[in-house]
Amino acid sequence: MARMKFICDAERCIECNGCVTACKSEHEVPWGVNRRRLVTVNDGKPGERSISVACMHCTDAPCMAVCPVDCFYKTEEGVVLHDKDLCVGCGYCFYACPFGAPQFPQAGAFGLRGKMDKCTYCAGGPEENGSAEEFRKYGRNRLAEGKLPACAEMCSTKALLAGDAEVLTRIYKTRVVTRGKGEEIWGWSMAYGGSGKLADQPGGRA
Amino acid sequence: MRTIAHAAAVAAAAIWLAGCTEVAQEPGKSYAGKEDGKPYASDLFKGDKAKWEGALAERSLKQNEYVRMQDNKK
Repeated sequence: MARMKFICDAERCIECNGCVTACKSEHEVPWGVNRRRLVTVNDGKPGERSISVACMHCTDAPCMAVCPVDCFYKTEEGVVLHDKDLCVGCGYCFYACPFGAPQFPQAGAFGLRGKMDKCTYCAGGPEENGSAEEFRKYGRNRLAEGKLPACAEMCSTKALLAGDAEVLTRIYKTRVVTRGKGEEIWGWSMAYGGSGKLADQPGGRA
Repeated sequence: MRTIAHAAAVAAAAIWLAGCTEVAQEPGKSYAGKEDGKPYASDLFKGDKAKWEGALAERSLKQNEYVRMQDNKK
């Protein structure tokens, strides 16, 4: 088994937040914690792009390197997971992560920082697979059910893909070869015809 | 003299090529937490890793609508 990865096709993402909702619903993630979120650049302007971001399950994960209690581990499939029983909620992983993936729920009446929570690639954690304890701490273990992460399987435009990196590469390559790339394949001219130039679109500037 | 230069060139080439080797990307730190079970150890796959990988690969490929469209045409 090669490495399990996510890829988000910014040409397809329509900022529907379906992936965010699927993740929250699937794992019953508490209020204030977002394992997945959408980032939009050039919001409201021609050429706007959105991308779905969560833990990228890095090959050389910086969170693993900085954790003072060594609570991170990597599965055979390359999924980065952690043991919540060991986590002290120090927040080092949050500073180290370039994607802002680690989340910290507020615990207690004074808003104390709880144990770190992040995307598990729907692979649960170090508890018995499919057990109530695993669900309570880490959410549902879809990988043990032979399923892919809920966010990717729920994505209506299939912008967000999950799976073996080699399979994802083949899917993405097929797309790019079939549709082409750049401004001409998506947006105003694709939807309404006419010029594909940004300057010729309503609200576009030369 | 020529033999020494030849040997040195071969050694230099070997060292240079060694730089192309993929280095281990795993952090050298140890994991201090609980052992996690294998995902294919559940009742569904009964430890059959190949069957589990096959199930995941099938679902992964279903994300490719170009393939799905061709399947529907058949």
